Amino acid sequence: MRSEQEVNRAIEQYSDMIRRLCMIHLKNYADTEDIFQTVFLKYVLSSVSFESKEHEKAWFIRVTINACKDLLKSFIRSRTISLDEIIEQPSEMSVDDRDVLEAVLSLPQKYKDVVYLHYYEDYTAPQISRILGKNVNTIYTLITRSKRLLREKLGGDGYE
Amino acid sequence: MNDRLKQAFNKIQAEEELKNSTKAFLYQKTKGYASAKITRYRRLLPAIACFLLVIFGGYWLYFTPTVEISIDVNPSIELGVNRFDKIISVSSYNNDGQELVDSLDIKYLDYAQAIDQILRNESVNALLSNNEVMTIGVIGSDNAQSAKVLSVIESYTDQESNTYCYYADPDEVEQAHEMGLSYGKYRAFLKLETLDSTITAEKIQNMTMREIRDLIDELSTCSDTGESLEDNKESGGHGAGNRFGHEQGNGRGASRSER
Repeated sequence: MRSEQEVNRAIEQYSDMIRRLCMIHLKNYADTEDIFQTVFLKYVLSSVSFESKEHEKAWFIRVTINACKDLLKSFIRSRTISLDEIIEQPSEMSVDDRDVLEAVLSLPQKYKDVVYLHYYEDYTAPQISRILGKNVNTIYTLITRSKRLLREKLGGDGYE
Repeated sequence: MNDRLKQAFNKIQAEEELKNSTKAFLYQKTKGYASAKITRYRRLLPAIACFLLVIFGGYWLYFTPTVEISIDVNPSIELGVNRFDKIISVSSYNNDGQELVDSLDIKYLDYAQAIDQILRNESVNALLSNNEVMTIGVIGSDNAQSAKVLSVIESYTDQESNTYCYYADPDEVEQAHEMGLSYGKYRAFLKLETLDSTITAEKIQNMTMREIRDLIDELSTCSDTGESLEDNKESGGHGAGNRFGHEQGNGRGASRSER
């Protein structure tokens, strides 16, 4: 079992990332809380020793995505998502940020992880393929298609 | 679009409340991060206790001497015998004894084999054929085992003319050890002390049993009639080991009456 100190460090370090992954998968705040508990409890109890910070981060990404998928499997919910339901303080966001996030959320499920990992966490396609356990070419395809989909939704301004 | 995405995602941050509730949840789930270890440890406790019991119980059973055999010629040695009739300790009470102990390899042997080996030992044989006196004492609180050991030793020493066997109580042996004497010598010392108060334990320590007996004889002839009578009786044993051995067949009784 890991120490309290170690766990608190991990919470501070990875909470934002896990929060974002939850946002693109989940539909309400209660589920996010569930995922946080599941992921960090798993971390507390796991005896995996991480070779590096990168290894640890990838572990958190994988565990979070899997936890989200498990949760979604057990709930049959409507696919329409309102940002207000997911985020507690949506009022602090600018209209533009809201549009971008709504656009991401409206993507089919399989694109969302790739979009987040590629555009926000700056992982390359081969890295994403390792984290998600998918073929590299599949990831390339997903990245290309998601680019197109987002451009369609948000317009081409400022695009790369 | 990269920047827009980054900027938008940047706005999403884990709420402090979410972090805190997660921490609280984990703290509660792990019962303060400590008890999980303790619980696991606790589950092992009975097993550990049993293991220790077996180890220490076994050690205690095996390595607690129940009977001690004190052998004195001049080499004075004592053998500790456990309840399984094995020799678990060999200690010497003077230099000759140390030499004898070094030449023997009797640890963990059956006591009967050990006695046999000692009686066959060259230096012991040389001493005995030189008309030295050997006393073998059996000291133990376990009466049945002591009696058995005594009778076995007697059967071994049947053929020896100047070997004497006796039984003694463990309490007296402690006093002997405090003075640095083996019990055989201590007995002689007590006897000598009544005849000559100047005698010391150090002096006795390196005398042979023959010398001590001769000294007792010598002193007792010059002392009171009552004492000399008793000592004459004792000295009568010198030449007639066999007869003496028989007399010591109920040696416990004999030694008790001496006390």
